[in-house]
Amino acid sequence: MLDALDYSAIFLTFKLAGLTTLILLILSPPLAWWLARSKRFYRPFVEALVALPLVLPPTVLGFYLLLSFSPDSLFGGLWMSLTGGTLAFSFSGLLIASIIYSLPFVVQPLQSAFVNLDKDYLEVASTLGFNSTETFYRVVFPMVLPSFIIAGALGFAHTIGEFGVVLMIGGNIPGETQVISIALFDHVETLQYEQAHVLSFTLLAFSMTLLMFIYGVLQKRQKRLTNA
Amino acid sequence: MLEFDLIKYQSQQLLFHFQGAIKLEGICTVFGDSGAGKTSLIRAFAGLDNSFSGLLNFKQCQWQSKTSFIKTEKRRIGMVFQEPRLFPHLDALGNLQLACKKASKSLYTINELAELLDFSSLLGKKSHQLSGGQKQRIAIARAILTDPQLLIMDEPLSSLDQHSRKLLLPFIKNVSKSIPIIYITHSMPEVFYLSQQMILIEQGRVEAIGEPQTLFLNPKLSLAKHAHSGLLLNVDSLTWDKDYSLLHGLVDNQEVLLTVDTQPSETSLQIKVESKDVIIAAQRLSGSSLQNCLQVSIEQIEPLSAGSVLLTLSTGKQKLLAKITLKSLTELDLQLKQTVFAYIKAVSILGECL
Repeated sequence: MLDALDYSAIFLTFKLAGLTTLILLILSPPLAWWLARSKRFYRPFVEALVALPLVLPPTVLGFYLLLSFSPDSLFGGLWMSLTGGTLAFSFSGLLIASIIYSLPFVVQPLQSAFVNLDKDYLEVASTLGFNSTETFYRVVFPMVLPSFIIAGALGFAHTIGEFGVVLMIGGNIPGETQVISIALFDHVETLQYEQAHVLSFTLLAFSMTLLMFIYGVLQKRQKRLTNA
Repeated sequence: MLEFDLIKYQSQQLLFHFQGAIKLEGICTVFGDSGAGKTSLIRAFAGLDNSFSGLLNFKQCQWQSKTSFIKTEKRRIGMVFQEPRLFPHLDALGNLQLACKKASKSLYTINELAELLDFSSLLGKKSHQLSGGQKQRIAIARAILTDPQLLIMDEPLSSLDQHSRKLLLPFIKNVSKSIPIIYITHSMPEVFYLSQQMILIEQGRVEAIGEPQTLFLNPKLSLAKHAHSGLLLNVDSLTWDKDYSLLHGLVDNQEVLLTVDTQPSETSLQIKVESKDVIIAAQRLSGSSLQNCLQVSIEQIEPLSAGSVLLTLSTGKQKLLAKITLKSLTELDLQLKQTVFAYIKAVSILGECL
C-alpha cells in the first residue's frame, strides 16, 4: 500500500500544518483584534490584503512568492545573507508561504468572534481593574476560546489541503517539500491508483471529521458563550 | 469631594455640560428624566466615555484634566450597570472570584455576600440559568468585591422583583457607610430612602445639587412636576396595635395611624401622601371617619391651573403638599403662616419595600 515516501509526505504535511497553525495562532489575534475594532481609513485595505488568498488562484500567490524568494529580490537577498540558504524549494519557504496562504482562515473566525464580543464585557473588565492585556487573557480569550479552536482547525485543515502554492515554490523534494497533495498527484500521474485512493480517502475523512467538529460542536459552543 | 466640570460635544453641538461638586459620604442619588444624561454623567465619572473633556477631581486625585486621563481600571470604581453584565463563560462564583483578582482587601468575603444577598445556592450556576434579580444581586456583590473607593450604580433595582429589592435596599444603604455611592434612580421613594444628597440632571446639565426634600420643594426646579403628585414623610417611633391591625407612629411628634396587615420589623418607615388626598380644615373636624390629622402651617400658596392651588404645609421639620380648589382657598380665607388642620385620606407605605 503506502510506501516510505508516502509516510514521509504525511509526516511532512502534518509538521507543516502544525507549525503554520502555531505561528498563525500567535500572529492572528492582534491582527484580528485590530481589524475588528479599528476605525482607521486604511483598515479595509488591510482587510482586503488578508483576504486575498481566499480569492486569488494559488498559482498567482505562488508566482509572486517565488519572485520574492529569489536571492536577487530584497526579501530573498536578506534571507540569504541571514541564513545562507534560499527560500525557494525549501521547507522554510513552504512554511512562510503557508502562513500567508492560510492567514485569512485563522484571522476571519477570530475577527468575527471579536466583532460579536459585546463591548459591555470589556467595560466590566476595566471596572474590575484589568488593563487591556489582563482583559484579553482573563476575559476575551476564555470567552472566544471555541473560536480560537475553530480558527486553528481551519488553518490546519487548509494548510494540509494546499497544492498550487506548494507546486510553485516547493517543487517536489521528498522529505523537504513533498506534501500529501503533491505525492497524490505523483501517484495519479504514474497510475498508482491504489495509493492515490488511500491518500485521498485519508484526507477526505480527516477534513470531513474536522469540519463536522467545527460546525457541530464548536460554533454552537461559541454561540452559547457569547449570547448567554 | 468629587468635583467635576465635564463637557461633551457631538458634531460641534454642545451635548452635555456637567458641573458641580458632591460630598463623598453616604449615597448621592442622580435623578432626572429619561434621556437627560444621567448615565452619561456616571460613565464620564467612571472614565468609560473618553469623549468628555474638562476636569474631574476625586478627593486629591486628578482623574481627568486637559492633559491627563486616568483610565477606568486605575480609578478603583465599583460599577453596577443597569443590566447585570455577568460574564457568560463563568459561573456566579467565577464572576465573583475574578473581581477579587485585583483587590487587596474587601469589605465582605464572597461567602458573607452570598449569605447577605441570599445567593449561596446559586454560586455554581451560569448567567443564563439565573433570573434577572439573581444576576443583579451577584453583579452588586461583584462590584463590592473589587474593593472600590467609589461605588457607582445605574438604576440597579429598576427591573427587579420585590424579594431582591427588599434585600438590596437596606444592604446598599449599609454599604454606603463604608463606601461612598453614586446611585442613579427614577424612583422618588428610592431617593428619599437612600440619600441625603441628590444631583438633579435636566437636559444634559446639572440643574441642582442638594438635599432631596429641599430640591423637590423648590418650585424653580424641573422637579416640581414630580412633587405636585405628593411628597414623602418619615414616620418614626412605630408601635403596633394588634387589636385594630394599626401602626402608630410619629410625624414630627404628631401621631399618625397606618393600616397594615402585619407588624413591620423596622422602627421607622416612609409614607407617601398624594397632594390630592389632603383635606384642609380651619378647625378640627368632629364626627368624621378620617383618622389622620396633622396640625400644620401654610408655607406657600401656588396657583396650579385655573381653579386649583397647591399649598405647601409644614409640620415643623417635614413638609407635605395639598391640592385644593381656588374656591376652597377663598372661602376658608387661607393665608400664609396660618395654622390649619390637614386631614389625610390615604397614604401609601414605602418603608418596607419601595
